[in-house]
Amino acid sequence: MLYRVGAFVISLVLIGLVVVLSGASPITVIGRMLSGAFGTADQIGRVVATLSPLLLCAAGLVYTFNAGLYNLGVEGQITFGAIAATLVLRLLHPEGASASLAPPPLTIALAIVAGGIGGVLWGLLAGALHVYGRISEIFAGLGLNFAATGIAIYLIFGPWKRPGVASLSGTQPFDESLWLGTFGQTEATPVALILGLIALAITIVVMRNTYFGLRLRAVGKNLRASYVLGVPARRQLLSAFFICGLFAGVAGALQVVGVFHRLIPNISSNLGFLGLLVVMLVNFDPRWILPVAFFFSALNIGSLQLPLSLGLESSLSGVIQGLLVLFALIGRGLAQRYGRKLEH
Amino acid sequence: MRTKRLKVLAVSVLLGLLASACAAPPPAAAPAQPAAPAADQTFTVGMVIVGPMNDKGWNEAHVEGTKYVMEKMPNVKFEYVDKVNPGDRPNVKGSQVADELIAKGAKVVIFNSDDFKDDALETAKKHPNIVVIHASGDYAWKEGKNYKNQPNLGNLMSKMEPGWMIAGCASALGSENGKIGTVGPLINEETRRYASAAYLGARYCWENYKKRDPKELQFKITWIGFWFNIPGVTLDPTKVADDFYNGGFDVVMSAIDTPEVAVQGKKAAEAGKAVKYHHYDYKGGCELAPDICLGVHYYNWGPGYLDIIKRAMEGTYTGTWTWAQADWKDLNNPDTSAFGYIKGKALGAENEKFLDQFIKGLGDGSIDLWKGPLNFQDGSVFLKDGEKATDQQIWYLPQLLEGMEGPSK
Amino acid sequence: MKVELRHIHKHFGAVHANNDVSLTVEAGTIHGLLGENGAGKSTLVKILSGFITRDSGEVVLDGRTAHIQSPADALRYGIGMLHQDPLDFPPLTAIENFMAGSLAMRAILNPRAAERTFRALCAQFNFDIDPQARVSDLTVGERQQLEIVRLLANGVGTLILDEPTTGISASQKTLLFEALRKLAGEGKSIIFVSHKLEDVEELCDCVTVMRRGQVVGELDLRADGLRQTEGKWPRDQHFSIAARIVEMMFGKELAMPVKPPTHQDEVILSVEGLVLRSDRLEMRIEHLAVQRGEVIGVAGLEGSGQQLFLMACAGLERPAAGTIRLADRDLTHKPYRDFLQAGVCYVPADRLRDGLISGLTIQEHVALRTSNRRLFINRAAATAEAERAIATFNIRGRPDTLVERLSGGNQQRTQLALMPSPLNVLLMEHPTRGLDIESTLWVWQQLIARCKQGTAIVFASSDLDEIVQYSDRVMVFSGGRVSPPIAASELTADSLGQMIGGRF
Repeated sequence: MLYRVGAFVISLVLIGLVVVLSGASPITVIGRMLSGAFGTADQIGRVVATLSPLLLCAAGLVYTFNAGLYNLGVEGQITFGAIAATLVLRLLHPEGASASLAPPPLTIALAIVAGGIGGVLWGLLAGALHVYGRISEIFAGLGLNFAATGIAIYLIFGPWKRPGVASLSGTQPFDESLWLGTFGQTEATPVALILGLIALAITIVVMRNTYFGLRLRAVGKNLRASYVLGVPARRQLLSAFFICGLFAGVAGALQVVGVFHRLIPNISSNLGFLGLLVVMLVNFDPRWILPVAFFFSALNIGSLQLPLSLGLESSLSGVIQGLLVLFALIGRGLAQRYGRKLEH
Repeated sequence: MRTKRLKVLAVSVLLGLLASACAAPPPAAAPAQPAAPAADQTFTVGMVIVGPMNDKGWNEAHVEGTKYVMEKMPNVKFEYVDKVNPGDRPNVKGSQVADELIAKGAKVVIFNSDDFKDDALETAKKHPNIVVIHASGDYAWKEGKNYKNQPNLGNLMSKMEPGWMIAGCASALGSENGKIGTVGPLINEETRRYASAAYLGARYCWENYKKRDPKELQFKITWIGFWFNIPGVTLDPTKVADDFYNGGFDVVMSAIDTPEVAVQGKKAAEAGKAVKYHHYDYKGGCELAPDICLGVHYYNWGPGYLDIIKRAMEGTYTGTWTWAQADWKDLNNPDTSAFGYIKGKALGAENEKFLDQFIKGLGDGSIDLWKGPLNFQDGSVFLKDGEKATDQQIWYLPQLLEGMEGPSK
Repeated sequence: MKVELRHIHKHFGAVHANNDVSLTVEAGTIHGLLGENGAGKSTLVKILSGFITRDSGEVVLDGRTAHIQSPADALRYGIGMLHQDPLDFPPLTAIENFMAGSLAMRAILNPRAAERTFRALCAQFNFDIDPQARVSDLTVGERQQLEIVRLLANGVGTLILDEPTTGISASQKTLLFEALRKLAGEGKSIIFVSHKLEDVEELCDCVTVMRRGQVVGELDLRADGLRQTEGKWPRDQHFSIAARIVEMMFGKELAMPVKPPTHQDEVILSVEGLVLRSDRLEMRIEHLAVQRGEVIGVAGLEGSGQQLFLMACAGLERPAAGTIRLADRDLTHKPYRDFLQAGVCYVPADRLRDGLISGLTIQEHVALRTSNRRLFINRAAATAEAERAIATFNIRGRPDTLVERLSGGNQQRTQLALMPSPLNVLLMEHPTRGLDIESTLWVWQQLIARCKQGTAIVFASSDLDEIVQYSDRVMVFSGGRVSPPIAASELTADSLGQMIGGRF
């Protein structure tokens, strides 16, 4: 823990240095980013709109991380969930039709379910490649990310393109009846937030209070010993992929029905990677996800202020995030390497 | 227990850092904001830009337009956010950026890409007191197909079709073998009519000035999928341009926002290939490779923006669809013409004469290429013999024209 | 070069890895250093070669005290070590490695001269290494040859080899032994670390045996008149040497059996024509029938296939042929799950690697073992159960103690606490390794109590006393061969030593 906190502090210092080097005051930057995240109802709404899918992804990743898996394929699981949700929306509300074949709330619900199924499919594919194909889950996941994006691009540029248009900027927006309701005029949707919070709550309970969570942690900490003790290791690994895919797929569906109202190539908005970062920072303990995810959602939204009011290259926020990730990993590594020695 | 306490410590350190950051007064060295008294006179305009501001293309041309406005009206201030696209800013939508700009005091918001049409409409609905301008688009065109009755939403577009005809003409004049390639962005109504206009210009000049058989003219377009390269998502325009240059096309036209066609053309020319290129969007486009540049048709957004912003300040602007015309008397006049044309070195003196003749014809109406007989790419009739195209027919061109190579949708 | 190590001490935490070790290696001899895993022989040679610094003691080379703090120091004194995994640079070529490891730090390399030296040395020992071959393409044996040549070029007077015959071919071994004899003939001293009796017998002039960090015996194979002709050993003498070495390794007197009879008539575990294969070993067990309540001890030098056998019986290793039956059920090639259901339990030697899960508490281990089809963990019940286990098995820890924080003895107690009940067959490796006497007695009390309930135990141990004390019958594994089970009461130190040495 000491190493993690230390690494975090060092990363903050380095971030400050980068900000100073790019010609701004760190304090101004933090102030602007804060006001950019919480200054108006719109901004708070957007933080919440980012938080919801992030919570889902992070909750899902708790399972894979605890099972000892680096599920980098979470991005692809979001994307494929979004594709599946879009498919259902298009089937139930064909382009040009004045109304959907099912009542809009049912259509939206089915789209979210479809998103979950799509994510599960993609998650299990990575799981099968890992468990049966003995491919590192990292490479399997990254490969499937490319595949999912490729499919999305193909659909957007091909069969699902806007009438008369072939642009990668996305499919035709869905009818407004199929948009998830929001808090007032903001972009935050209660449904997404509730789903995110439910997923997180379930995850906390499962990891702390169920045999399933215990077995998952056992497998993640020592696959061989767990197996010897009689834990069905393969089933645990596949379950972890299943649940993570499910949550990520639902997040993808919510991106479609709640945020973009259409399918775009980068529908995941890199929230899967952000989720990885969040879960690593909280050391796989779901109880801390909510505050950390909230912090990163605010950072994500507030960073728009960098070009807007400070004239800073907005990729600076990428640098900030990157440094946090890097040092979170270094801190983890150090803690694993030397932390044990210290304890003895 | 120990780890728990440390975690609490870590979070409180973090929160403390943030809190102290809020509480601390901004240091004196922080960049000073415009003085307060001027604030009530300063009129802020926000601009949502799809690509990089300095792309030597479409986006930079818009920024040039804003500079023109600020020159003429010193109390107008622009706020920009560039690279608003899902590749560069994954979790950001155009409408969100507009919200931010409005929160910062923008009274007018300009979206500079066709891709923002949904965002522009959403913003206009959400902020009825803000003037929303969508550069390109047709939601404010009463006679158009997609009219949305949204009084604070307007469209501004330069009528660039004649510019594309001139570009096509210059390319045909500059080509020896009649193989003209075009690196196109994505396919929509705008890009279809532009490509078709270029083809019409090229065919006219090939036939009438070069006295060559139109059948010898090969006019091919490859769409990359977006206005500029998004690695892994679009086709790589560098590669598309190279494929043209290496495939025997001696003239390549750029129809995208960024300068890959010029850059690769320069490389090909340096490698000894007899190739030329035609640039688009940005006035300085020929400076990228002067010796092989045939010309550039560029947007001049300044006068259009100036007019709208003036009216918005007076409170008299209502959403209209403006298809801004060129000044045929003085094509490169920054105050009057909606687009300009600069001839490149590679055109040559004799061809320059032909091109001037062509421009003159377009200007006085003696040359009208949107006139039948014209067929669509699939062979169906677009315009019967002698029939002239309406604005609607041109704007909503459903297909490329017969004789062109490349997908229509 | 004559090497003397005097009163060497080395601690690793609580472990006294070298306890007052003295060793003299005469110039011109090949000296074998023998001992079980963890006996302290690797520590000793690493101290000599500068990889580890000693706590106290003295290194004397040719009568003069040497100050060795690093491998480079050692090399300067003329001591070179050949590690089990050669320390070379696989992406480079052989000749580049040869030059890179050169002691002389010349700024300018002279590849031509280096290659001449290299070829000359290789020719001297009949080594056939292409100077331009990439090290990553060489076999372990060739890399070893390359290392030897490199060390010789640096002028070493003492060569240390750590388990050099593992993973090399028979012809490479012959070549290696010839080279070593030749070097000894030139007056160099060779220290040969191994736990393979046959290699030591074949090659060494003297043998020093270590056990638990101490030297427990020395044997001069020349002085005893045991060696008659070079490299040839009459069969009987071979075994008497082996027996003497084994005796030193394991102790002279065997303890008396203490186990009460517990076996019942019913056969619970039976094995027929079992063939087991690993990348190092192939072995065959024709027939074994273990009765309920019986204890079978498995003896042998470490790495003779004991673990493979126990794991096969536990369903964790697939046999190449043969059948494994539990009572009336044929479990051959059945999944591990079925073995567990049939009441088979495997308790591995490496507790924190194979048996327990670092990062989980005692209570969580108990819950993991008891988890059934229920969804939620009843925390109170789990704690109560863990407390019961802690009380029953006398574990010094609380339900929420992480297992890696427990001492070795308490980890073993935890492993025992996790054994399911009822239990038909218990397969254990080193049941009491690292435990104090009190814990050892206690563990066996528990195990014998299980036997009385009908559990059959098959255990492997490197402690021959333990084997004789607690087994009903004993099987000996030696170099891929397995003896039939012999009643423990019929064993003597000598007969057991001879069997471990390979005579049965």
